[in-house]
Amino acid sequence: MNQILQILMLGLCLGGVYALMSSGMTLIFGVMRIVNLAHAAFIVLGAYLAFWLFKLWHVDPIVSVAVTMPALFLIGIGYYRLVFARRADNPRFTDLTVLITFATGLVIEGVLAFFFTGIYRSTTPVYAQKSFLFGDFFLPQSQVYATVISIVLIVSLWLFLRYTRIGNAIRATMQNRNAAQVVGVNVTWISTLAFGIGLAMAGASGSLISFIFTFYPAKHVAWIGMIMCLVVLGGMGSLMGSLVASFLLATAAAFVNFYFGASYAPITFYLALFLILLFRPQGLFGKKVEG
Amino acid sequence: MGTLVIENVVAGYGSGPDILKGLSLTVESCKAYCIIGPNGAGKSTLIKTIAGLLKPRSGRIVFKGEDISGLRADQVLQRGLCYVPSDRSLFPDMTVKENLRMGGFVMRDSRLVDQRIDELFVQFPILKEKSAQLAKTLSGGQQQLVAIARAMVLKPEMIMLDEPSLGLSPKVVQQIFGTITGLRDQGLTILLVEQNARKGLQISDVGVVLDLGTNSFEASACDVLNDPRIQELYLGKRHQTEAAEECQ
Amino acid sequence: MAENTVNQSLTTEKTFLQPKKGNMWVKAGIPLAILAVLILLPVFQIVEGTLNYWLHMMMYIFLYVIMAVSWNIIGGYAGYVSLGHNVFFAFGAYFAGMLYLSTRISPFVSAPVAGILAMGFGMLFGLIALRTRGSTFIISTIALVLLVAELLDNWKLTGGTNGLAMPMIALDGRVAKIPYYYYLLAAMVLCIIMAYFIKHSKFGLALRAISQDETKAEVAGIPTRSYKILAFGISGLFIGLAGSLWGSYLTYLRPSIFLTVALGTSIVLNTILGGKGTVAGPIVGTVIMTLINELVVAKLGATELNIVVTGLILIFVLLFFPEGIVGSLKSANKLPSFLDWD
Repeated sequence: MNQILQILMLGLCLGGVYALMSSGMTLIFGVMRIVNLAHAAFIVLGAYLAFWLFKLWHVDPIVSVAVTMPALFLIGIGYYRLVFARRADNPRFTDLTVLITFATGLVIEGVLAFFFTGIYRSTTPVYAQKSFLFGDFFLPQSQVYATVISIVLIVSLWLFLRYTRIGNAIRATMQNRNAAQVVGVNVTWISTLAFGIGLAMAGASGSLISFIFTFYPAKHVAWIGMIMCLVVLGGMGSLMGSLVASFLLATAAAFVNFYFGASYAPITFYLALFLILLFRPQGLFGKKVEG
Repeated sequence: MGTLVIENVVAGYGSGPDILKGLSLTVESCKAYCIIGPNGAGKSTLIKTIAGLLKPRSGRIVFKGEDISGLRADQVLQRGLCYVPSDRSLFPDMTVKENLRMGGFVMRDSRLVDQRIDELFVQFPILKEKSAQLAKTLSGGQQQLVAIARAMVLKPEMIMLDEPSLGLSPKVVQQIFGTITGLRDQGLTILLVEQNARKGLQISDVGVVLDLGTNSFEASACDVLNDPRIQELYLGKRHQTEAAEECQ
Repeated sequence: MAENTVNQSLTTEKTFLQPKKGNMWVKAGIPLAILAVLILLPVFQIVEGTLNYWLHMMMYIFLYVIMAVSWNIIGGYAGYVSLGHNVFFAFGAYFAGMLYLSTRISPFVSAPVAGILAMGFGMLFGLIALRTRGSTFIISTIALVLLVAELLDNWKLTGGTNGLAMPMIALDGRVAKIPYYYYLLAAMVLCIIMAYFIKHSKFGLALRAISQDETKAEVAGIPTRSYKILAFGISGLFIGLAGSLWGSYLTYLRPSIFLTVALGTSIVLNTILGGKGTVAGPIVGTVIMTLINELVVAKLGATELNIVVTGLILIFVLLFFPEGIVGSLKSANKLPSFLDWD
């Protein structure tokens, strides 16, 4: 019984980080119908940024969130303006974005590999090796911190979307792009902003995972696989859906990890994806099959 | 002078053909105009072009003496010209009140928006009753009412309605048209696109027939209703006598 | 109403695209000449013994042409983009490899069986994944690659990440490549002929209707679901066959060779570069991309830059030439007739 509780706690502890990783991709899909397959590559980019800040100037990776978020925000705005802004009316826009962002992910991977080689990296702040112990239970400090900060960021995002004028405009655009235009929302501007925010979330994820996982340029493939599963499981474009899916699958993966071995944990995600496609193609919180 | 003048406007979608082919129309303030015409005549395109959702390829649109062709949708709204699309275009996962608040999006003063919403609640008590419900849970008629009220938040001088009766039962259509008549009586300029040509013309002052992207016929609503050609094409013969009576 | 428009536009397009019978031989001359050279190439190798590099290059192109032409059937004709078609490739390789290691049946014999099984596997997967459209479908195909890669990495029977070792073919190094060469060449020619006939069949017409507007196609009475599943299966047939030969040719099977996401992408890139949905496009695109890749690796010597170049070309083509080389030339009426088989 204790063992099961322990695994449950470890799983939930990663859930927050997964939720942060998928929140940006969900936001970007929800507002712009862009399936950002480069999302994990941007996360890895953020992780490298955190890594060099830590290595060169001993910036704590948690503090580096303050750098990676704005940096990736700006990259996101530039990328959206350059590639997508003028093509949002293309009827095949969504399909097109899948391939373009996927190719972008490969480009980022190649550039990172060229400059930083394929060596496995991670940041090593003091708390990375410590654990919180209480009774029979333990939790790695790094995971606790990462999840707490992730949750803080997600709640801030939620408050922003809920209670600010611009946040309302973003939500309105997610729900009905046409209607948003009708009431005078400048959807091009909102889309650019939302893309920036989505990538800022990727940047923050990068900082946080830099001390809980090891990473290397090609790592984004495994992560995008996982994030895709979370986003589809949650119902493409539903923030609440991807949040629930993250905690659900993080816990499931923790159990698989314990009973079958670490190398089987990723399979949990893909199997969940195919099960959901089989029984509920629109995802847990999705409304209709995406056309 | 809330007059809207449309001069030789040419417009179309993407790289597609011209839908409006040099359309001209003058909409005088405080009057209700009903635009009728066959499918593909360019009725919705005209409204979208005026609302700033579609850029005219050539021609001018002048509102209150100011050239508004090529302005963005939010800039057009700020000049007092509102648009209610045919699919109603509500935000399905927002409450009625949030939808109305979005109607005031281009206004910076959120207290003024809330004040306007309270005024609208007096005018449309049913909306007050439903204010906390999600828009997607409302009936079609109620959704249409929300869409109209959402446009009214800006206190526009002119409101354009695209097929407000679409998909509604006759009884509800009657109510919606009653609401529109109410707006006209408040002194709003109304530009109405309607498939239900007879009903639309009955509550309008002027009837405009669009065909193939141009203004093919324009007359007082009564004359349009009584024109034998129009009756044959859009109204159905059996309404002839009825229409004449209603015009009295 | 909707039915009429679909049928009309498709029939007019079809008669318009039908090749003219008169110049058929002139048109077929260049492809036949290329084929003759390809058939004779190994003879020079036997005589001279210096063409092994070229044979390898050519086989590499044959393989990628098979993959691109097959992919085009579902991705180009029907418009369902799959980033996971290398799963068929791995399927064929592992099937034939494991069969050989347990029963000594040669991959040369089992290759067609591998192809047919790969097709069955594709239809099974299609049964699940083709319930979705657009981006969700694409995502499910990437997930398939990742899932199969994880499974093979962990499965003891397939040797996990170390993979399986196959014995070398019992022939002198001078001629060892030749049986593979001819087998792949024959498979490629058959595959191209199949793709040509599908494009000009009623089935192909239906697939193109699906890619233009699936709802309208359905209204027009096309059994879209079964056609999509069949097209997805067929697109795996020759890839599975080629996979079984390639595994034995390489003499080792590893998930990291057959199941990378980059491989799945390069199939897509080759087809889109050449011209999605055209018969000649995938071939043109593959030849050009293979040459570019050879140049990048030879001149710059870095595989990291290889994927950068792949990615950048893909982005560039998607943004500015979504019709690809053959498609754009055709739109501009500048397509040489020997490439015009649509």
